[in-house]
Amino acid sequence: MKEIIEFLIASGKLKKMPRTGWVWRGVKNPETIAEHTFRVAIMSWVLAKEGGEKLNLVKIIKMALAHDLCEVYAGDITPYWGLLSKDPKKRRKELQAWVRLPRAEKEKRAKVKFEREKKSLEKLVKKLSPDLRKEIMESWLDYEKMRTREGRFVKQVDKIETLLQAKEYWDDGNNSFVCAWWEEIDEFVDDPVLLKFLKELGRDDRVCKLKK
Amino acid sequence: MEKKFYLTKEGLEKIQSEYNDLNKLRLAKTAGDVPKIWYSEDLNPEYIAFQEDLGLLETRISELEHILSNAETIKAPSGDRREILDLGATVEVLVNGKNDEYQIVGTLEANPAIGRISNESPVGKALLGHKVGDQVVVHSPVTITYKIIKIRYA
Repeated sequence: MKEIIEFLIASGKLKKMPRTGWVWRGVKNPETIAEHTFRVAIMSWVLAKEGGEKLNLVKIIKMALAHDLCEVYAGDITPYWGLLSKDPKKRRKELQAWVRLPRAEKEKRAKVKFEREKKSLEKLVKKLSPDLRKEIMESWLDYEKMRTREGRFVKQVDKIETLLQAKEYWDDGNNSFVCAWWEEIDEFVDDPVLLKFLKELGRDDRVCKLKK
Repeated sequence: MEKKFYLTKEGLEKIQSEYNDLNKLRLAKTAGDVPKIWYSEDLNPEYIAFQEDLGLLETRISELEHILSNAETIKAPSGDRREILDLGATVEVLVNGKNDEYQIVGTLEANPAIGRISNESPVGKALLGHKVGDQVVVHSPVTITYKIIKIRYA
């Protein structure tokens, strides 16, 4: 039980870690990684049911809860890591557009991120029972590699939750650069239920419709 | 009509290989064997979850069967058709003044983080059927123009 307590205390650090992207965008009181995880879990659950398909809900919810556990030690690595200027003014301009890179560079960066996060998660679950350790690692690997329908679904929900948060911050007067998130989403999401959700979400979006 | 799963040759081989491995595991487990391989360090970590859970194993086998029954291998076109962007092609585009590059694949192999986008995503769908020089506009709340710079097939 001692190991479980240690694991829970370590995981609980996510309740104090703000999401990097919002900090860079100058959002006041940005959400934490744990707060993001909460809504990814809720969204995954309700949208999976909306689909009517036989997605495994238990698997989906566990995956959503585990998907960012690696960030306890790896930190919140955003798609912009290593690409932005140190100058805050230049950085804010760079954050207005989505990341554009050659394939080889994308593959290299994805590999580095994956290794760092895998190592971090292994450290976090190291002292848990073998069964529980394997279950958490397997759930995360399924999500990261999008191996199953559930993995693909939760990965896409993760992106959509961030977009939803960006819109909420914009409505609160923060410059969360919503349009860049739409650029990413348009490349990422292909699930029919999630595309339907995005169509509805974008219906009243005035911010990006004004942008030519 | 059943949904088709478009896979590269490598993608199909990977799925077939997993299907074969999992069937061997199922056979051994239902025969009461405990394959040594399951507890060796050589075990593909992707199969670890199936050690104890036969239900999970059955579900995954069923999923793979469904994919294999409806799989279509992506083949590179020949001749003039290679000038048209189709599944399997790698496309270089100019977007907002910057170069980007994707391979267009089916949903099972899509992973935008490594430059593979789904033919069913808004961008993937919009780009298909176009040629070098075309400007493809994708409308969501944001309107983005993708100018096709280069198309190549493996």
